[in-house]
Amino acid sequence: MTMGRSLIILLGAVALGAALFAGSYVTARRATVMCCARPADDLSWLQTEYHLSDAEFARVRALHEEYRPKCAAMCAKIAAEKSEVDAALGGSTNVSGAAQAKLNELAALRAQCQAQMLEHFAAVSQAMPPAEGKRYLVEMKQLAVGGQEGMEKSMSGDPGHEQHH
Amino acid sequence: MPPPVLQTMKKENQSSADPRLSELLREARVAPGLPPGFQQNVWRRLEAAEAPARPASWLEVLANLVLRPRFAMVAAAVVLLAGILAGTWEGRQVARQDARTNYLASVAPATLR
Repeated sequence: MTMGRSLIILLGAVALGAALFAGSYVTARRATVMCCARPADDLSWLQTEYHLSDAEFARVRALHEEYRPKCAAMCAKIAAEKSEVDAALGGSTNVSGAAQAKLNELAALRAQCQAQMLEHFAAVSQAMPPAEGKRYLVEMKQLAVGGQEGMEKSMSGDPGHEQHH
Repeated sequence: MPPPVLQTMKKENQSSADPRLSELLREARVAPGLPPGFQQNVWRRLEAAEAPARPASWLEVLANLVLRPRFAMVAAAVVLLAGILAGTWEGRQVARQDARTNYLASVAPATLR
């Protein structure tokens, strides 16, 4: 067998293997996402992720159901306050005293909402096994509150972030 | 022992053999000619037969391996399995991330994140 022919055979085998791998990978990935990404509700993920027993999960569900209306009410208040801020700002090029007051009210509402949310996370974490509860709390705090950190760091002149003015 | 009749005929033939005729017959015998380069070809083939076999390169060894049906089947099965495992793992990660996002959306307003 010549070197050229050997090379062609090997390249063909590698291409065939790559195609086989890619095909099976994409198919399996799609099937898994389709199968697992549609749980019965938003909470069923919690039970598998944090290894909750049925009793613990029932307690978490109860806390969630109790929290949802409060959260919705707070969201409605924030949305209304935002409308008022928009109206106060209007088309002016400077921030008036009234607009500043509305901004403060909006910030206070957001802080209240955030505190309520963190209280809920703490309550849920206490309904979980200690280690899982701790993990849940750390992850939720990071996901729910940590989102603003990037923006704050970039604004505070952190050398790790480039500032754009 | 041949029959007496044949023995008689043989004697007659031997006695009547003409030395000149025999010589002419000997000269008239055609010797087949050798093809051109016959000797060189013979030597070349002898040398090729005596030379040690050229060691196959790793490329040829691999190509030969790939062409073996059993090896090809096993390799294809391994690659297929690896693809399925990797895809399933990645799919589970994506699904997990989606579920986490959905949960977070249900408890934490986007305006706070």
